Amino acid sequence: MSRKVVEIAGKRLSLSNLEKDLYPSYGFTKAHVLEYYRRISKFILPHLRDRALTLKRYPEGVEKDFFFEKRCPRHHPSWVKTAEVGRDEGEQMTVCLVNDLETLMWVENLASLELHVPLARAGSTETPDSMVFDLDPGDQANILNCVRVALILRDLLSNLRLTSYVKTSGKKGLHVYVPLNREKTTFEDTKKFSKAVARTVQKNYPELVTAKMSKEFRKAKVFINWSQNDSSKTMICVYSLRAREKPVVSFPLEWKELENLAGQDDPEKLQVMHSEAVSRAGKQGDLFREVLVKKQKLPHL
Amino acid sequence: MAEQAIWSGTISFSLVAIPVRLVKAVEPGRVSFRMLHSKDYSPLQRRMFCPEEDKMVPPDEIIRGYEIAPEKYILITDEELESVSPERSRTIEIVEFIDMKEVDSIYYDHPYYLVPLKGGEKAYRLLVEAMRRTNKAGLAKFVLGEREYLVAVKSTEGALALITLHYSEEILPDKDIAPKEEKVEAEEKSRIKKSIKKMITDFNPEKYADGRRKKIMDLLKKKAKEKVPVEAPEVEEEEGEGPADLIAALQESMRKVKKNR
Repeated sequence: MSRKVVEIAGKRLSLSNLEKDLYPSYGFTKAHVLEYYRRISKFILPHLRDRALTLKRYPEGVEKDFFFEKRCPRHHPSWVKTAEVGRDEGEQMTVCLVNDLETLMWVENLASLELHVPLARAGSTETPDSMVFDLDPGDQANILNCVRVALILRDLLSNLRLTSYVKTSGKKGLHVYVPLNREKTTFEDTKKFSKAVARTVQKNYPELVTAKMSKEFRKAKVFINWSQNDSSKTMICVYSLRAREKPVVSFPLEWKELENLAGQDDPEKLQVMHSEAVSRAGKQGDLFREVLVKKQKLPHL
Repeated sequence: MAEQAIWSGTISFSLVAIPVRLVKAVEPGRVSFRMLHSKDYSPLQRRMFCPEEDKMVPPDEIIRGYEIAPEKYILITDEELESVSPERSRTIEIVEFIDMKEVDSIYYDHPYYLVPLKGGEKAYRLLVEAMRRTNKAGLAKFVLGEREYLVAVKSTEGALALITLHYSEEILPDKDIAPKEEKVEAEEKSRIKKSIKKMITDFNPEKYADGRRKKIMDLLKKKAKEKVPVEAPEVEEEEGEGPADLIAALQESMRKVKKNR
C-alpha cells in the first residue's frame, strides 16, 4: 500500500492507496479523484460549507460495496471541523463539516466519492436555504423528459417571481433549486409549497409527470420528488462526483443550454465528466453561486 | 471486506514502532427488535419529551446539565466538553510490561484486536512471540472516541489483543461482601475441596451457547417461512391540496406557461 504524506495549510495528511482504481472500467484512480476534488475545490467548498456531510464511501471502487456514513468517523484528524446535530430520535450526532481543502482531501482519501449534504446548515437545521425539486425519471423515461419538466418548473416559478437554477444529478435526473436564504422559511414551508407545485404540474401534464413515489406510477414519467425538502434528507452536492461507471459530475447548467438540448435525442449529451467540469467551471465560474446568496420569499403561504 | 478499523496508528515501545489498526474482537449476539405501531406497523421513533410543557422538544432546544442535587444542574456546552477532551492518540505507547496474571479480571472492560498494517508484519510477529514467551502484557494510555483509557496489550494465539481496563476508581469496594471469618471444621473444608476437584475440566467455551438467542432465531426463521411479513405503510402524502391562495396563483401561472408553449 502506497502512502504519501502531504501538507495543506500546515495540516499534515497521510494519503493512502493512491493507485487504487476506483472507476475500474474507466481507469480513474484515487489519485485522480483527489486531483479532481483539489481542482474543483474553489467551486465546491462554498456549497459544502457548514453542512453536515454524509459520506458515501466506495473503499473498493464503484463496482463494489459502498456504505453511507452520517457520523464523522471517530478517527478524524483533530483539525477536522465537526458539529453536533440532532437526529430524529432526539439524540445528538457528531458530523463532519467540509470547510477547507484539507478536510476535502481527507474525506476523499476515505474514498467518499459522493458528497451528500442537507439543504440546511448545521447551525440551523430546520431552516433550508433553498427549496429543491428532484426530478427522477422512471425506467422508460430519461433525462430529456426531465429537461421538459425542468423548463415547465422554471416558467411556472418565474411567474411567481421566483428565480430557479438547475444542475444535473450526475445520474439520470435533474435538480431544480430555488434559493431562499431567509431565516424565516422552514422546511414546513418548502414542503407545502413544493408539493403544491408538483401537484399542479402533474395535473396539467399527466402524460409527462407523476407526483407519486411508487415505481409502478413512474415507468415512462418523471417523478417530481418534493419530499427532499426535509431536514433529514440530503442532496448530492453540486460538483460532487457520482459513483457511476464513469466519473460523472453533478454539474450546474444554464437554462439556455437546457432549451437547446430539449430537442436533442442523446440523453448522455447532458452528462458532464470530471475534466469538462473543471474546465467549464474555470471558464464560466460558479453557476450555482446565487443559490447560496439570493434572497427570495415563497409567496402565498 | 476486512473488518472495519476503529482506529489506526502505531503501537510502540522503546525503539520499535509497528503500524496497526484496531478492530472489534467481540460482537454481542443480542437480537434486537424494532418497535412498531400495532395499528399500521409504522416503525416508531424516539423523541425527547418535556413533561412540564407536555410536548416534544426539538434538538436545537436541547442542552446538557450535570445534576448536582435534585432539580439543580450545572450547564455545560459542547465547546466546554470539547476543551477538556483529550487529543486523539496517534500511537499506543507501551510504558510498562506487567504480568497479566496480576490483573484481576474485574478490571477487564472491552476487548479488541490489533491487526498489523503493511510493512509492520515482521515486527508484529516478533512482539507477539516475545510477549507470549515472557508471558507479559504491555500497559499503555490510549485515547479512543474522546475518552482516555488504560489498556493492556497482550498476545493471544499469534495475534495482539488490546483490552481496555477500568480505572481503579471505577472498581466498587468489596470489603463488606466477604463475611467475617468463623471456625470451620476440617472435615467440611475437605468435603468442599473434593466436590470441586470432581468437577474440574478444561475451559471449553464452545460447549455453551446463548440458548435464548438460538431459540429466538429459530422461532423467527419458522415464522418467516410460515407467514408473510407485515409491511410498514408507504409514506403517502395526505391528499390536501395546500393553501388556497397558492393553488390559485399556481393555476394562474400554469395557464400562462401553457399559453406560451
